[in-house]
Amino acid sequence: MPERQPASRLALGVLIALAWLVPGLGHALLRRRLRAAVFFVLVVTGFVVGLLLNGELFLPHPGDPLSYLATVASLGNGMLFLVARYLGLGQGVVTAAGYEFGNTFLLTAGMMNLLLMLDTYDIAVGKKDW
Amino acid sequence: MLDHLSLMALDALLIAVFFSFLWKRDRRERWRYFWKVFGLLLLGAVAFAWLIYPFPRA
Repeated sequence: MPERQPASRLALGVLIALAWLVPGLGHALLRRRLRAAVFFVLVVTGFVVGLLLNGELFLPHPGDPLSYLATVASLGNGMLFLVARYLGLGQGVVTAAGYEFGNTFLLTAGMMNLLLMLDTYDIAVGKKDW
Repeated sequence: MLDHLSLMALDALLIAVFFSFLWKRDRRERWRYFWKVFGLLLLGAVAFAWLIYPFPRA
């Protein structure tokens, strides 16, 4: 198999970064518009519900190894994570009835977006033809 | 606020739609896969809850 050209490597990197930043954008740029719209709605819905339930957008807590995994999943939300953090949202209210459910929705949304990045990569390199 | 079962159903719904669009190409396949995943998540959670019901917390 021929070596990938640097320019296309760069384009692939930018594509994956954009796929992370905005849920579904990678698929939209690859002309998978229906799936892009569905994925966008799913991830944003999960994220918003998670915030409304007082869930937490995790950052690493020293001495809590699981918080590192949760941070990876939270960061998977891309721009949603950055904007929410900037606005002071997603601090998490541990005493709220919906806290654990909120975490579940936020982490689910982040994991979905991480899977979308992988799917975008597979489509871009031709491993998946649809 | 929604009750626990409704929230679980909503999460299962999002996940089932997500994977049916991620892994299945045809509309018919997607519907079948959606109901399978949604049913498994929902009924599996209820079944698991019943299974652990007799066990005390402490």
